[in-house]
Amino acid sequence: MMSSETIMCPVCGGAIQTVSPDKVNRCEFCASPVLGRRQNHDCVNHPGRVAKGVCSVCGDLVCEECIQLRVGDYGGKLFTIANCGKPDCVQESKWAQPLNLEYQRLANMDWSDSVDNSILRVTGLGAVLMVVFELVFVLCMLYVQYFTSWGLTTDPVPNIPYFFVRGDTVVLFCIIGNLLSALLLQTALQVHVHERQLGAGILLMLLLVTEVGFLLGRGLLFNLRFYPSLYLIPFFLGAFVIATLMVFGGALLAIGVGFKKRKQLKRARETLGLSGQ
Amino acid sequence: MDTILDRPRGLRLIGITQMAFGFFGLLASIGLVIASLVGNPSFLGMGLLYSVVIFLCVALPCLVIGNYVDDLRRNAVLAQVAYSAGAAVVAGYFLYLRGVSYHWTVPWFGLGLDVDVGNLAVLVVVTQTLFVLYLVTKWKSVAPPRGVHIERDKKKARILEQGLVPSPLPAGLVASDGHTSLTDEATRKIMEVRRVTTTEGMAILCSNCGGATPVAKAEKDNTIVCQFCGVRLGLSSVFVPCVNHTEYLAATTCAVCGEHYCRMCLTAQEPPVDERWKGSSVFLCQRCFEGRYRPAVTTASLVIPIDKLFSKAGTRFSRVGSLYGKFLRAYGHIMRYVLQFAARAAASVGKGSHGNDNAGAVIIAIIIAIVAIPVLVGVAMLLAAIVIVPLLFYAGLIGVAIAAVRIIRRTDFLTLERARQEGIVLRRPAKKVESPLREESRPWENPREWKKEVTKAEPFIRR
Repeated sequence: MMSSETIMCPVCGGAIQTVSPDKVNRCEFCASPVLGRRQNHDCVNHPGRVAKGVCSVCGDLVCEECIQLRVGDYGGKLFTIANCGKPDCVQESKWAQPLNLEYQRLANMDWSDSVDNSILRVTGLGAVLMVVFELVFVLCMLYVQYFTSWGLTTDPVPNIPYFFVRGDTVVLFCIIGNLLSALLLQTALQVHVHERQLGAGILLMLLLVTEVGFLLGRGLLFNLRFYPSLYLIPFFLGAFVIATLMVFGGALLAIGVGFKKRKQLKRARETLGLSGQ
Repeated sequence: MDTILDRPRGLRLIGITQMAFGFFGLLASIGLVIASLVGNPSFLGMGLLYSVVIFLCVALPCLVIGNYVDDLRRNAVLAQVAYSAGAAVVAGYFLYLRGVSYHWTVPWFGLGLDVDVGNLAVLVVVTQTLFVLYLVTKWKSVAPPRGVHIERDKKKARILEQGLVPSPLPAGLVASDGHTSLTDEATRKIMEVRRVTTTEGMAILCSNCGGATPVAKAEKDNTIVCQFCGVRLGLSSVFVPCVNHTEYLAATTCAVCGEHYCRMCLTAQEPPVDERWKGSSVFLCQRCFEGRYRPAVTTASLVIPIDKLFSKAGTRFSRVGSLYGKFLRAYGHIMRYVLQFAARAAASVGKGSHGNDNAGAVIIAIIIAIVAIPVLVGVAMLLAAIVIVPLLFYAGLIGVAIAAVRIIRRTDFLTLERARQEGIVLRRPAKKVESPLREESRPWENPREWKKEVTKAEPFIRR
């Protein structure tokens, strides 16, 4: 049972000791503002108008007209705070910059939630498939190079060319391929982030073109066209084509959606007469 | 919570000294075994027994206790006090019987090596007595009370020391004591406070019967009793509807975007490390929670920081690689001294052999063995590095691929919604597998570990 001096936090349910009956009290568990026991629900400046916010400095209730929203770096993160118009409170809130609510409304990108979700999945899984392809390819090529007669033959020339030691090209080009696929994966996992979507989409497309060119070139260099197996090469080609198509489709979508978001932000800035920032 | 970084320097010194005793004890027991097998010097059949006694009474306890005593372990400190006291008494009795001047002469490659056993006993008496005195006088700072959890992982300890202590809040609502979870009924009262506008002004819709009670009837504790069924309802600080559910009263604002949301739309997060934030949690709406803009708070959510994918997944492999590299460098460093020693010994062969070719040849053979074996081992380890490094690279890539699949699976807007619904509304915490990409976010959900921490929160070090 709560005492008369204690009320229940409406946000987290924690017990709040009401030290100020006519002021907002802070929940000691979640820091949510909670009305004092005798506090009026109205805006301090406009009696009869229900408050919409609490000043983070003095704890006064303020209506939409009186509230000032600010965005500031809070422990390295961006937080939104509210303050009333009193000079002391404005001064105390200077660490945060005033928030442009209209810009925030115009820049809202909730419309892209479902498509971004699809983009992340398609590109991400395609890139993972590409990494797995590379990891399996290394093992297969080492096996082909060292444990098959096709890989060991040198008559008249080796099927898999090498620079100094047998297999050095396999190791070198497979490491490069793995690095490329890792870069592809890193980029593919960022195509759903609003701020990076367009850039990540373009970079992903460039990386994909590089990766495809590299893989085809490597296959030709290793003379895999002539490898006497009915299954291995078609299996690799199949995995490669599926991964490429997935990443390509996702990157294309990301570029399209990212471009649309860029236009939205540009339009919002133009509408509000804001600078390039 | 206290950490390993809080341990006194004296305790660390005791640990290192004890380990050194253990190391020398181990060397002594090995030496006794070799001497017994070679038969020089003669121990009259007691060599192996001495070896076992030294191993069991010196090497093993010193190594074990020394290893644990400086980790702020109560039992290890107790063991250290008991062992030190025992060692001081035994060494003192030995001095009483044999005196300080007692010493052994041990053969060493044809030379005689004097071991001042009496002086060694004095050293043992002095050090072990000092250890006992220090541990007893500093008892409160070296022996944590039972039940107190000490964070011994230095990485985590540094985070704790910086103030990044995880919040002990469960995913659901907290009861009035601030620790236990709220009952279903109380949760419903908080979650389902709805607002309507009636002819009498703003009114609250009862979650129990649906009846409307005017806000003006709110009681002094900012709760409102339904005038139809008598259920007591909780009120928010401001009377603003939730952005997503206009029929619900907002509980609070999202810390990042500042919009008003009901508790169902908000996810509790650990607060940022900032002295301006006094609470143990912050609340975020779904969009900000997903962190698709700038990440809002310290990572405690199901969202995994993608930027850290490669660094985190690769860290453990690169750590193994760097450790191996350090080991090789240290090995090379030691080898320099081995070579110097061998060169000096070889130079002394001509001067001191006095025509004894056999002795010279034996010494040269020993030098070759001393030098050649470590050099060969070093070369083998270097060659192994050529294999180990690509293997680590390959293993790192596998780790990255697995972590990527987890990211793709968990960055799911629907899953997050479900997690929140199940965790807060249905009171069924969503199952989640901790990612290797981040620290464990909610240790209190692991009952075994958390139980230890909540037993006594009083830091014992600062008493």
